[in-house]
Amino acid sequence: MTDEGNGQNRESPKEPAREGSVGLMEPPVATTKGDGPPINGALLLRAGSLMGFVLVIAYFALVAPGFLSVGNITNVLEQSAILGVLSFGMTIVMIAGGSNVITGGIDLSIANNLGLSAAVYAILLKTGQPDIVALSLTLLTGLAVGLLNAIAVVSIGILPLIATLTVMNICAGFELVITQNTVLQASSPLLAVLAGDGPFGIATLAYLLLIIGLILIAVIEYTPFGLRLYAVGGFREAALAAGLSVNRYIATSYILSGICASIGAVLSVALLSGSSTGSGDMLLSVVVTALLGVVFSRRLVPTISGSLLSVLFIGFLINGFQLTNISSYWVNGVEGLLILFAVATTSLVRRREA
Amino acid sequence: MALAKGDPVLSMHGIVKTFGGVRALDGANLEVEAGNIQGLVGQNGAGKSTLIKILAGIHRPDAGSITIRGLHCPHLTPRQVEHLGIHFIHQDRLLVPTFTVGEAMFLGAEPGIGRLPFLNRREMARQATTILRDHFDVRLAGGALISELTPAERQIVQISRALLRDPAILVFDEPTAALVRREVDRLFEIIRRLQAKGITIVYISHYLSEIESLCDQVTVLRNGVDVGHVSLKSSSTTEIVSLMLNRDIDEMFPKRAVPIGEPVLKLNEVSARGAFNEISLTLHRGEILGLTGLLGSGAKELVQSLFGLVRLHGGTIEIGSERTKVSSPPSAVSKKLALVPEDRRAHGVALQMSVRENVTLASLQRFVCFGFLQPGREKTATNELIRKLSIHTASQASPVGDLSGGNQQKVVLAKWLSRQSALYLLDEPTVGVDVGAKVEIYRLIGELAEQGAGILLLSSDLLELLGIADRILVMYRGQLAGEFNPANSTSADLLSCATGTSAVSEYVNAVSAESGR
Repeated sequence: MTDEGNGQNRESPKEPAREGSVGLMEPPVATTKGDGPPINGALLLRAGSLMGFVLVIAYFALVAPGFLSVGNITNVLEQSAILGVLSFGMTIVMIAGGSNVITGGIDLSIANNLGLSAAVYAILLKTGQPDIVALSLTLLTGLAVGLLNAIAVVSIGILPLIATLTVMNICAGFELVITQNTVLQASSPLLAVLAGDGPFGIATLAYLLLIIGLILIAVIEYTPFGLRLYAVGGFREAALAAGLSVNRYIATSYILSGICASIGAVLSVALLSGSSTGSGDMLLSVVVTALLGVVFSRRLVPTISGSLLSVLFIGFLINGFQLTNISSYWVNGVEGLLILFAVATTSLVRRREA
Repeated sequence: MALAKGDPVLSMHGIVKTFGGVRALDGANLEVEAGNIQGLVGQNGAGKSTLIKILAGIHRPDAGSITIRGLHCPHLTPRQVEHLGIHFIHQDRLLVPTFTVGEAMFLGAEPGIGRLPFLNRREMARQATTILRDHFDVRLAGGALISELTPAERQIVQISRALLRDPAILVFDEPTAALVRREVDRLFEIIRRLQAKGITIVYISHYLSEIESLCDQVTVLRNGVDVGHVSLKSSSTTEIVSLMLNRDIDEMFPKRAVPIGEPVLKLNEVSARGAFNEISLTLHRGEILGLTGLLGSGAKELVQSLFGLVRLHGGTIEIGSERTKVSSPPSAVSKKLALVPEDRRAHGVALQMSVRENVTLASLQRFVCFGFLQPGREKTATNELIRKLSIHTASQASPVGDLSGGNQQKVVLAKWLSRQSALYLLDEPTVGVDVGAKVEIYRLIGELAEQGAGILLLSSDLLELLGIADRILVMYRGQLAGEFNPANSTSADLLSCATGTSAVSEYVNAVSAESGR
């Protein structure tokens, strides 16, 4: 009851006084809480987050010589490419699955899918397959894992958190079977190009991160397909009422996420000249960046551009730590704090505005 | 819309639908004439929503035929329904909260940029703004977010969404649930304007006042069958009520002669800052004291202050001739006060918990033995209350969220009944409850009074107050403005007092000394 008082204080001036609430068999007046003018916490949050981003960069620019040099920036972009592509996949799943922390969309298998796809790619190259075959089979592997997630979540109806956790283990298992827990060296003409520099002496991976990012921004944020993904995640019943086949969109999001994982695998094999163990460690960073991306959007929803920003933020943060000789062991802790920050602030702002 | 006004545009005939052995519809008929506003009423569970879901193509009927605009449709699908020009305005306003008005309106049929497959957000916003302005005189930016809109504005966006698709028939399913009075009037104006444009309207509601002021024809459903087709030009709402209930309206308010006992609650000039000033009143055992007032009159805050939810700044409270303070809800409960709050979803029941858990929650001590709950005793007590209150639930273990609004309200009542309180504070106990459940709640309130409890009934349903209260107090701007005897007052008396239109506060009855201004 006490919070009802608050609710009324926040009432919009547009809403007429409930003077009609007394009458003969009149419709009861339901309390309509919180439909007030937005205090615009979202705007504040976005401005604050961008400010934080700029401050962190400004700090490192001051204390770490060469932090803002072209060489260092492209270095950060190159190092962020793999995390970035995974983060895009996670973001798509979160868009279509909705923001509920328990029941919403999440793809926990994405990092291990990368590990598995990288192992597939490396072993195919090792056995002498040409690039085109190896590449297609790698992408197919990622897609198959995504399809498995989609079947588990959509057809069987398992909670995404549980379904993708299971698939994560399946991926980890297969990866071990292929690699015997060793590093598989790999090289090919394509890998040479990917690992090298593009125009202006800037790393190819840096270009790829930006190109893939821009393509996905266009597809997710500027096409009807993207809008419908948001509708499916934002209010399932509304999407159904608009005649959308909700399940198909959710399934597509997991498949896209799987493809992102296998693209990330190709980039990873290029960067490390082979498959590597321990890809699953990236999962926390992927979740952080996808969640943190939410605070950069006006509507407090996951966006590709927001995720790209937060991937760069984390990238610059780690790079700054390295340049100022702060132990990289701090990074995990900082990432945990950022998750807390993103989830706490967005849910607070949402609760106030919902 | 080649049909002339009055031609049958939609007819559902002999519709039967069974859910797991329960007959939701048992040969129901619905006939809608072109250009009319057709009402569909019935209590909760009468089959309204099943009938509408069949029309929407969500459920498939077991038997019966459907003809839409002269076309026989044996197997309706949602898509086909949309092609036939039938659109639905749902009560929960199905719009994505994070979308802009434009996006929400065009979702599923988004305009592109030229031939490119990209969203044309500017065009969507522009068209949305235009439609809202031209059809509804509503000035809303097409780029505003749905979450920033009032419920009424969202409703209008939803109607506009349907209008974009050039509807022949618009079905409104309980559209006023979240609207305030003025917004309801505005909605009606809009519906009439749509009718004038030649759109046929089907309007579903259990508020008869809405049906009466809006509809041309009414179909009444009861127990899955249409029990009457009434033209509102020739008959009144009382006829509809008796059709819905299958009983007379006089039976709605079961009257009991209960002897009024000694005072159980006395307020002496209590005040709460910004809410009410120097209120004095006395409530006796066995008495149902009605209290009403507009929003801001302080009536609601008065009731809440008695339960320790609003702080008092002066005056004294006597409960059972003992001066006391109610500082918090637990202290209220310890003084044998019970509150049935209006917003039962927020304050009254735990929706995911079972009926039994909810019913016994406030009186767990009664069922504890050596620190452990005794399920057997809990079950017996719950069974008794379920029977006594005729709560319609599949079992004691069903989550309360599965129950209808009226039955949820009865669970709240049962929760406090199992405590046997001396003083009941009822805050709008029948809001959102259908007529049949209302009658049962009235009967129950009467029983509580009979057992010697004092009841303070806050309600804005004047008919209800006149029907069951022994005395009615009206508040206006933080003051007691009048006291009425239901036997010789009318709702107009109460209303004019509550709105402050009567010159001086009218004391129809003898004014008790303590209820002065």
